[in-house]
Order: sequence, then structure tokens, then C-alpha cells
Amino acid sequence: MNTNTQSEHSASDDPALGTVVVNLMKGVVYRDLNPDVWQQLEELHARVIDYVAVMGLNLIVDEAEGYAYLKQVSDEERSVPKLIARRPLSFPISLLCVLLRKKMVEQDAGGGEARLILTREQIVEMMRVFLPDRANEARLFDQIDTYINKVSEFGFLKKLNTNPPAWEVRRIIKALVDADWLADFNEKLKVYRDHAESVA
Amino acid sequence: MDFNRLVGLRTHPSWRLLQADSAPLIISFLYQSFILTNKRSIAAETLATQLDDYLHHLRETTGENRFPRKGRDYLNDWASGEQGYLRKYYPAAGMGDEPLFDLTPSTEKVIEWINTFEQKQFVGTESRLLTVFRLLSEVARDTETDPQQRIDRLEREKAKLEQEIASLKSGHMVPHDPTRVKEKFLQAEDTARQLLSDFRQVEENFRHLDRGVRERITTASSGKGKMLDDIFSEQDAITESDQGRSFKAFWSWLMSRASQDELQTTLEKVLALPEIQSLQHDELLSRIRFRLLEAGEKVNSTCAQLVEQLRRYLDDQAWLENRRIMEIVREIEQSAVTVRQSPPPDKLFTTLSLNKPAMEMPMSRGLFRPATRPVISETPEEGEADFDTTALYTQHYVDERALLARIRFALQSRQQISLAELVKLHPVEKGLSEVVAYLHIASESDHALVHSDSSEEIIWHDAQGRQKEAVMPVVIFTR
Repeated sequence: MNTNTQSEHSASDDPALGTVVVNLMKGVVYRDLNPDVWQQLEELHARVIDYVAVMGLNLIVDEAEGYAYLKQVSDEERSVPKLIARRPLSFPISLLCVLLRKKMVEQDAGGGEARLILTREQIVEMMRVFLPDRANEARLFDQIDTYINKVSEFGFLKKLNTNPPAWEVRRIIKALVDADWLADFNEKLKVYRDHAESVA
Repeated sequence: MDFNRLVGLRTHPSWRLLQADSAPLIISFLYQSFILTNKRSIAAETLATQLDDYLHHLRETTGENRFPRKGRDYLNDWASGEQGYLRKYYPAAGMGDEPLFDLTPSTEKVIEWINTFEQKQFVGTESRLLTVFRLLSEVARDTETDPQQRIDRLEREKAKLEQEIASLKSGHMVPHDPTRVKEKFLQAEDTARQLLSDFRQVEENFRHLDRGVRERITTASSGKGKMLDDIFSEQDAITESDQGRSFKAFWSWLMSRASQDELQTTLEKVLALPEIQSLQHDELLSRIRFRLLEAGEKVNSTCAQLVEQLRRYLDDQAWLENRRIMEIVREIEQSAVTVRQSPPPDKLFTTLSLNKPAMEMPMSRGLFRPATRPVISETPEEGEADFDTTALYTQHYVDERALLARIRFALQSRQQISLAELVKLHPVEKGLSEVVAYLHIASESDHALVHSDSSEEIIWHDAQGRQKEAVMPVVIFTR
């Protein structure tokens, strides 16, 4: 296997670099789930940074949490077209992200269990307080299921092979739903609330 | 034991378990699955199947249908917050997604207590008194600061030992007292059983310590410098606690080769005594070494995991960000409740930059192709068996994982081991196929050497007790 000692070779010569970059392009790389790729990533750290910089991307590695992902460089000067699009989120889905992030904080503060795992009932209970009253319980469940699926697509939730179904909240949510994003969301919601109150 | 305290204690999980209508079911089942087999954790599905079998067995033998629900429902009930007889938890990521069950210390206490109702063969009082006395004098001895006192005591011991040696030399042998031997053995067995049951409590205590440290960090309101100071001193809070140090000492004693050997030889010698053989005792002590290892391993990994999580929690100063997040989330929740009946309607309320570059190459998509369905037009003919089918049923299945476990276990106390030594420790059970399986493991592994220019002899006995030998290249497994 090639290592960084051969950095003078072009990237196409090095299958390890390719493996790491492709895995990162496909999503978050976790140390515990993909130890081989993680190891190669550690060895090729500098080269991966150089390589993805060409595409206007930044490599973020969180050693403590054990994950790595690519982030769009937010440099207005450079005119590289954006590879990572900002995804639009509806209000309930944003709210679900907020509540999951809150659970993560509570879990970390409480200690003990390493993984944060929620059942469908727990997620429904968590969301219910903030959703308009509905006579139809089944519809509420269905709706929350679609939210869960959407958030799973973002990689914040991972469905477990358990019965009854349960979801693990992935730690990457800490990197993306951060304090700045939450503050931004909070401001938007305040503006909306004031508007709604003035109309009413 | 004051009245109000006892009233409060009635909500304790142990008390609740004893009061539960299905206590006999719960206790007998958990005793059978966890204590008898010394299991530290059991996968949810496996335990549910075991419980289903057990319930079936109860219905058959009692002829009643007192427990109509599914095993899984009972287990979830027992592990729920109100009951708390079992601990349900998920293994670390990468170790699978299926939840595991373990006993809680309070359930273990109940089982242990009920176990003491069994009529004892006899209750030795003398050895207990002597133990108390010995422990007290050890404390007094270890804390003695006056050197003259220590010297005097050692002199007394020396005189006593010399007297004993002299009497032995003169051929005067004091026969041992069988009652006392039995008494001491039973006491040792009791202590060993308690030691094993204490491990769950030890683990629980570690978890409790972890929670305490986190609570202090989250509620601390001191300045940043003071906070960092606190945090660094807390980093070792778990390993440096009395609990942590005592456990570390226990573990290093258990992991040392010399003490393992000593324990084993002593045990073999004691178990072979005629007095002990006449006692009705269970298999506990003869396997205590492995049971301690298993139990200690679990505590050890829990402790390592807690320290790692705590370090992670402190590492990136997450608590500062966490505090800010909690403040913002509280505000968001308030606003969200206010607008609950008329939430923002737009599909695009916020945007989120995801972690994945969006790339879609139109050319990489497959073209439409109608699905083909295989149609089986011929009816298969039944063939005739013209060979001896017993060969199919007499094949040995060699579990390579079991062999790997043996190798790992043997390497815990040494750097390397040859195959010949290994089969002396764990006799070959499945004949030549097992030896070949070892060879296969060695050829696949990076931690094994096969010396084809020298050879060694592997000896085993087959089911009829005949000795078999194989001469093969020297195989050495290393760490």
C-alpha cells in the first residue's frame, strides 16, 4: 500500500488516496465504523487536504469524536463553483434537528451511555408539543416518519436493525447543527413570531 | 433502620422486585440466565428466546397460563425506568446495533440474598472470628508508627515460627482438623461468590462517578481558568478514586502470570483434599479464575469507555458550546410553542450545509431495462441416493472463532506460544480437522509464523481414547 512517502507521484497512482477521497465524497467517515479508511486518512491527512482544496473543499477531522467530513470553503474571493449545496429545510424538519441536538447535549451531560438511541415513540413525544393539534393520531405518526426519513438522509439519524425500530443519533449532528446555526434559526423564528403576533 | 427511611426504601428496585407479583418468575429466570452461567451481558434477542422457552416450560409443568405475554415484552418491562431490574444498553458503535441486557446491582443483591436462604451444611463461626481478628491486627500492624513495637511483633512471630520448625524437625506433626478445613473452604467459597456479585456494583459505581463529574462540570459557574483547573484535576477522577485504585490493583494481580499460576496450583491442591471432596460444593471455585477474568474484563472495558467519553466531553470544551446551545434551544422552544397553531408554512425555513458534496453524473445512471423473470418450465426429477449419507452427518465443524479465542487467551500471559504448547493447554477435541484449522489460522494471520524447515509433533486423543500424532511444521502464534 502506498503511503505519503510517495507524495511526488500523481494522485491517480495511489489507490489509498483514492479510497479516502471517494469515501469522504460519499459522506462522513467514522473511525469506529470504518477503521481501515480512517487509518489511511490519518496517514494521508496532508495529501487529502491538498487534493480536496482543488475542489474548494476543506477537510474537517474531529479526533475526539472520531469522524471526518468535507466542508465547503466559505471564501468569497475564490470562484470555485460550490460542490456542497445548502439544503433547504422546512420548519418541522429544522425543529427536529434542534430537538435532536438538544438530546445530544443532554446525553453528554448525563454521561453513561456512549450512544444516543431513540425509539419512534420518543421522537413523536419530543415533536408533539410543537406541532399543531390534530385529531388524527395516525397522520401525526406518518408525518413524523417522513421527517425522520429526511433527517436520516442528512446522516443525523441511522435506523437500527431492532424491533421495535429505533434510531441512533449520529454525532456528526454536533458539527453541522452548531451554536451559530441554532442562533440563526432562533432569530428567524423570533421574526416570524413577532410577525404572526402583529397579524393576529 | 428508621421508620421513614424504610418507607422511602420501598421504592428501591430491590424491594420492588421482592414485592412484584411475578417475582418468582423474574428471580428464577434471571438467576438461571445470568448468575449460573456468569454472563455479564446477553443480547436482547437471545434473552427473549430464552425467556420464551422458560415461559413455555413453566406453562407445561404448572399447567397454568399465568404468564401470557411474550418474553420480549416482559424484558422491556423489567428494564423500564419504573422497574429497573435489568439494564438495557447498546454496545459501542461497530460492535453491532442489538441492545444488550445485564442485571442491575439491586437485582443481583436480591438474588444473592435469596440464595442465602438455602440451608448451609454448617455455618463456620471460628474461621470468621479468626478472619476478623486477622484483619484487625493487620490494620493495627500497617498503621504502627513506633519502630520498636514493630520489631517486637516481628520478634514474636519469628520465635513462633522457629518453634514450629523445631517441632516439625523433631518429627512432631500436628494433624489438621477436617472441620476447620471445611469451614475455611466454605468461607472462601462464600467470599468468592460475593466477589463475583460485587462486580456489577463496581461497574455501577464507576458510572455513578462519571455522572457526578459531569454534573459538577455542567453546573460549575466559576471563571474559565478555574474551570480548566477543575477539569484537569477531574480527568483522573475515575481512575484515581478509591474504587478505581482498588480495582486496578485487583486487575494487575489477576493479570500477572505468577499469581494466576499460584492461584491455580493452590486451588488444585485444595480441591483434591478428601475433606473438600466430601463436601457438596458447586463448581464455582474451580472455575473462579476464568469467571473473575470475564467479570473483570467487563468492568475494565466499561471503565475505559467512561474515561474515554469523559475525556471527549472535556476535550473540545464542548460544555461551553453546550451551554450556549441549551440557552438558544430554550428560546427556540418558547417561540415554537407560541407559533404552534400556525407554524411557518414555507418549505424553505432554514438551510443547512450538509457534509456531502452533491454530485450526480447523468451518464452513470443505468438505462431502462425490463425486468426478466426466470420461469421454470421443467419439473425437477427426484434423484436416487446411491451413496452412504452418514458421511454428511459425521463431519466435524471446527469453530475457528473458538480456536482464536484460545490463542488470544493463551497470549494474555506470554508473548508467543507454539501450537504444541497450545494443544497441551487446550487438548484437541475435533481431531485432525482442528489441527488443520489452527494451521489455517496461522497462514491467514499476520501474528503467526510457520517454520517449514523445522517440525514438531502434535499429539491428541480421539473419541475412543487412542493417541494420534501429527508431525508438522512448527507453528508459533505471537501477540
